[in-house]
Amino acid sequence: MLKKEQNDYLTQTGPGTPMGELFRCYWMPALLSEELPEPDCAPVRVKLLGERLLAFRDSEGRLGLIDEFCAHRGVSLWFARNEECGLRCPYHGWKFDVNGQCVDVPSEPAESGYAKKVKLKAYPLIEKGGVLWTYMGPPEKQPPEPEFEFCTVPLNQTFSSKRIQESNWLQAMEGGIDSSHVSFLHRGDLASDPLFKGAAGNKYNLGDLSPVFEISESDGGLLIGARRNAEDEQYYWRITPWVMPCYTGVPPRGDHPMHGHFWVPIDDESCWAWSYDYHPTRPLTDGEVAAMKDGKGIHVKYVPGTYRPLANKDNDYLMNREAQKAGRTFSGIEGIGMQDASLQESMGPICDRTKENLVGTDNGIIMARHRLMRAAKALTDKGVIPPGVNPEHHKVRQAALLLPRAAAYTEGAKEALIAKKGVRQTSV
Amino acid sequence: MQSETARVTTARESSYRVQYPNSKRRDVKVVALDSSSAKLVDEVSREHWNGAQFFTSLSFSADSEPGATGDGLKAWLKDLAGAANDLVEEVASSDFVVVVTSAGEDARAVSLIADACALHHKSLVALVVPGPETSDAEISASMTHLRPFARMLVIASGADYISAMLTALRA
Repeated sequence: MLKKEQNDYLTQTGPGTPMGELFRCYWMPALLSEELPEPDCAPVRVKLLGERLLAFRDSEGRLGLIDEFCAHRGVSLWFARNEECGLRCPYHGWKFDVNGQCVDVPSEPAESGYAKKVKLKAYPLIEKGGVLWTYMGPPEKQPPEPEFEFCTVPLNQTFSSKRIQESNWLQAMEGGIDSSHVSFLHRGDLASDPLFKGAAGNKYNLGDLSPVFEISESDGGLLIGARRNAEDEQYYWRITPWVMPCYTGVPPRGDHPMHGHFWVPIDDESCWAWSYDYHPTRPLTDGEVAAMKDGKGIHVKYVPGTYRPLANKDNDYLMNREAQKAGRTFSGIEGIGMQDASLQESMGPICDRTKENLVGTDNGIIMARHRLMRAAKALTDKGVIPPGVNPEHHKVRQAALLLPRAAAYTEGAKEALIAKKGVRQTSV
Repeated sequence: MQSETARVTTARESSYRVQYPNSKRRDVKVVALDSSSAKLVDEVSREHWNGAQFFTSLSFSADSEPGATGDGLKAWLKDLAGAANDLVEEVASSDFVVVVTSAGEDARAVSLIADACALHHKSLVALVVPGPETSDAEISASMTHLRPFARMLVIASGADYISAMLTALRA
């Protein structure tokens, strides 16, 4: 459990809050590249960390992420014309470039220099691995670009999607480091999902429902090892990395692509659940990409034209009690992503952690909260750069492997947990 | 029309969650396995706890060795007041047991506590606390001792994590 003030501390990410300032130390996924497909395409509304912004790609392909509202009369620039290297407000014609600089105020003589004195807040927006990333902190503290492996492999080896989740970011992220729920909530999918099935390791998940956990701090966050009994005096280990503040990796299965998530706050009552799949050494097959686009694995089907899941709270997540009773799905909800989201959204917009009853096997969650609070306090009090900002901390991999029972995974899987270009993942 | 699920997951509806307590007090036994961790446990014990009890050393009689079970298991836990308490009775009356060891110290006594936990079907959580000079090999050795016995094995960052964990577990 958390005290109310601790829960507030961790869940509030708006400007000026301790966690909001922590998040503003990192590059974060903001949009998919497909949302701004070409120069002068339609601008896109973006809300991140409680700030309403507008993203656009100008006539020369440059990316901008600026305050959504015109500095003149507060009109939303989503209605603007994206033309000749800037967004022109349709109300009175004021125009802004990708840096938020006002470049034209038609009612004032150009020679007056009036436009130069008007500038909207703007954040950098960069493209990497099919994702547009932003950094919302002080410009003088902007870190080097992110180096997560999924965004550094060739584009034909990686696939990312996102879905809106109608809950606070923390309860979503905590699901990503809570390995023990997999054997229950997702058990029906291990045998049927095209992006999971067939892996030799699946039998250990299904055969041992009481995993034992080991947790250690890494430079960037945590490593959470879950071990299950295997033959020949071995343990089957699944190791989940968490990189602060909101990146989680799911241990792989066989030669299937590796996947994981980013959990990015939109505001305090909703977040973006980013899902990535990639293979370190080969292109994704047409079949794999088709499955991902069809909402298999950790991805979801969408309400057409949106990033809202097709199964959502408005339709009771398409609950199927018959499938639940027959055991085809454990919860009655189809798809891994929505199995998680439906339960996490049911906690309410911001989970009340004063009422929860954690057990010893929830130490991954306890430790993540502890590290987040410690880092936010160190940043607030002493300006200490938090773990996970350094791109070296991003070069971590999830792993699944068999080890002798006496071996520590931190030693036995040491090499497997490092992302190395051109080296296949360690997986069973 | 809005679905019932959509209606009940608003912030307003969350405010109608019942306010009655949903659990009883936890009886958690926290045991230091060595003299270094005894200092940490002693420090943590000074905070306010719901029902946690703290023990700073373990001793066993000459006729009871690690590995003994049932009636053969005779060991005593020393509490902060210096009183000796029967290990098996303490474990039996607990909800779960937390052991703390400093990395590199002798953690073999955990086997005796694990036997008592097994006897009474209690979970054992183990925390390894590294010191500033602790080597990876020392951490690894401590983990090796604890691994067969703990359902959850954690390399803690220090005494503050022991407190954070116990608070989170309502100890």
